[in-house]
Amino acid sequence: MSFISLIDIEFKKIKRSKIWLILLIAMIILWLPSILNVDLNFKMQVGISPENNFLIQGLLGMGWFIYPASMVVGTLLLNQTERSNNGILKMLALPVSTAKLSIAKFVVLLTLAASQIVMAVVIYYASAILVSRIEDYNFMLSPLFVLKEVGLVYLSSIPMLAVFWMLSVSIQIPIFAIGIGLASIVPSVLMINTKIWFLYPMCYPFFVVTSEYGKLATNLTTQEVTLIPWLPIALTITILCLVISCIRFGKAERG
Amino acid sequence: MILSQEVKKAKRTGFIPTFLVGGLLAAILPVLNTAVRSENYLGLPGTPLQILFDANWSMMALLNILLIVGGACLMYYTEYADNAIQKMKSLPIKEGMMFVGKAVLLSTMYVIVLTIETLSFIFSSYHWFGLYNGFWLELGKNFGYVFLLGLPSIMLSLLIASAFKNMWIALGINVIGVFMAMMIYNMSFILSLFPFAMPFRIFGGTDPNRVLQFIGAAFIGIIVIGILEFIFLKVRRSFE
Repeated sequence: MSFISLIDIEFKKIKRSKIWLILLIAMIILWLPSILNVDLNFKMQVGISPENNFLIQGLLGMGWFIYPASMVVGTLLLNQTERSNNGILKMLALPVSTAKLSIAKFVVLLTLAASQIVMAVVIYYASAILVSRIEDYNFMLSPLFVLKEVGLVYLSSIPMLAVFWMLSVSIQIPIFAIGIGLASIVPSVLMINTKIWFLYPMCYPFFVVTSEYGKLATNLTTQEVTLIPWLPIALTITILCLVISCIRFGKAERG
Repeated sequence: MILSQEVKKAKRTGFIPTFLVGGLLAAILPVLNTAVRSENYLGLPGTPLQILFDANWSMMALLNILLIVGGACLMYYTEYADNAIQKMKSLPIKEGMMFVGKAVLLSTMYVIVLTIETLSFIFSSYHWFGLYNGFWLELGKNFGYVFLLGLPSIMLSLLIASAFKNMWIALGINVIGVFMAMMIYNMSFILSLFPFAMPFRIFGGTDPNRVLQFIGAAFIGIIVIGILEFIFLKVRRSFE
C-alpha cells in the first residue's frame, strides 16, 4: 500500500470525529475576547501599534495554551479511533509496516495543526474587519506578514507535536498520556524566560510569538530566537520522538 | 457503597497516580519559584501566604483544573469503553447515583491534591519567611475557599464528560472551557463565576463580601449543574 493511500485512509477514519468543529470553536473563542477588549489595543505602554498588538495578543493566547492543548486532544483522537473496538488489530493484520502507519498518523496530526492555524488566520481577518468597523481604525495587516508570523508558529510547533505523538503512542494508559501532555504545557510560561528554553519543545511556539512581540514593540525586549543551539536540538528531538513512536507503535497489541 | 465502586473502577486506569503526580508537580512550583527568585518575593507587602498565592496560584490552579478535566473524562471513558455503561444501567442503581459517586471521588482526589500543595505552601512559608501568628488559621481559610470554589468545575467537567461517548470530544470541550476560563476570569465578576474560572480565585486580598458572593455562587453552581445532569440523564434515557 502506498504511503499516500495510507494517509488517505487515516483521514477517512477521522471523518466523522467532529474534531474540526472542536478546533474551530477553540479558535473562535481565542479571538472573541480580542474583539470585546479591542480598546485595550490603543492603551499599550510598550510602544506597539494597535494593529500589531491585536494580532500578537491573539497569537500569544494561541501559542501558550489552546494550540498545544488542542493538539493533545488531536493525539487522543488519533489513538482512540484505533483502540476502540480493537481497530488496531485489523490494521496490524494488514501487510503494512507499523512504522509507516505511525508516520501516516503523524502526518494527519500535522494536517490538523495546519488546519487549526489556517482557521486562526481566517477568524483573525474576520475579526480584524469587524473591529476596524467598530473602532474606525484600520486593523488589517498585510497577509504576507500574518502568514509569516503564523508560519513561524507552525514550524516551531513541529517538535512539540512529535513529542505529543510519542507520548500518546508509547503510553498505553490514556490518562497518563493526556495528563503529561496537558501538564507539560503549563511550565512553558516559566521556560520561555530561561536561558535553556530550547531544551523544552512545548514552549517553542510560545517563545517564538513572545520573541516576535519583543521585535514589534519598541519598549519591550524579549529573548531573540537564536538558531544555533535551537535548530539542531529541535531537529534531534523531532527525529528521536518519531523514531521512538515508530518502534513503539502497536507494541502493546502485538504482545 | 457508590464511592467504593467508583474507586474500584478507577483502580487500574492510572487515575489515582496521575492525581498524585499532578499534585506533586504543582507543589514543586512555589518551592522552585521562591528558591530561584526569593529576593523578588521577600520584600513584598502582605502576609507570606498571600505572596506565595499571588505568585504561584494561577499556574497551580491551571494544573489542578487540567487534572480535574482529565480525570472526569477518564472516569466516563471507562464507562463508555466496551459499553460497560449498559451493564451499569441494567443494575438496580439510579444512573444519577453514578454521577454522584464520581463527583465524590473526584472531589476527594482534589482534596488530596490540595493537601499536597498546601504542604508545599507550609514548607515555603516556613523556610523563607518563618511562621507567624495566625498562619494556620489563614492557611485553613485558603484551603477551604479554594476547595469549595473547585467543586463547580468538578461538576461541570463531569457533566460534559457524561454527555459524550467519545473521550476526545468531551476532553476537547473541557479544554476549550478551561481556555475560556483563563481568558475571562479577570475580566469581570459575572464572568469569573464561570465554573472553570472559579478555581483561579485567591482568598487573600479579596473583599469579604466578594468572598461570600463567590461561596454562594459555588453552592448555586453545584446545585444547578447537579439538577442539569439529572434532567439530562432522564431525557437521554427516554430517547434510548
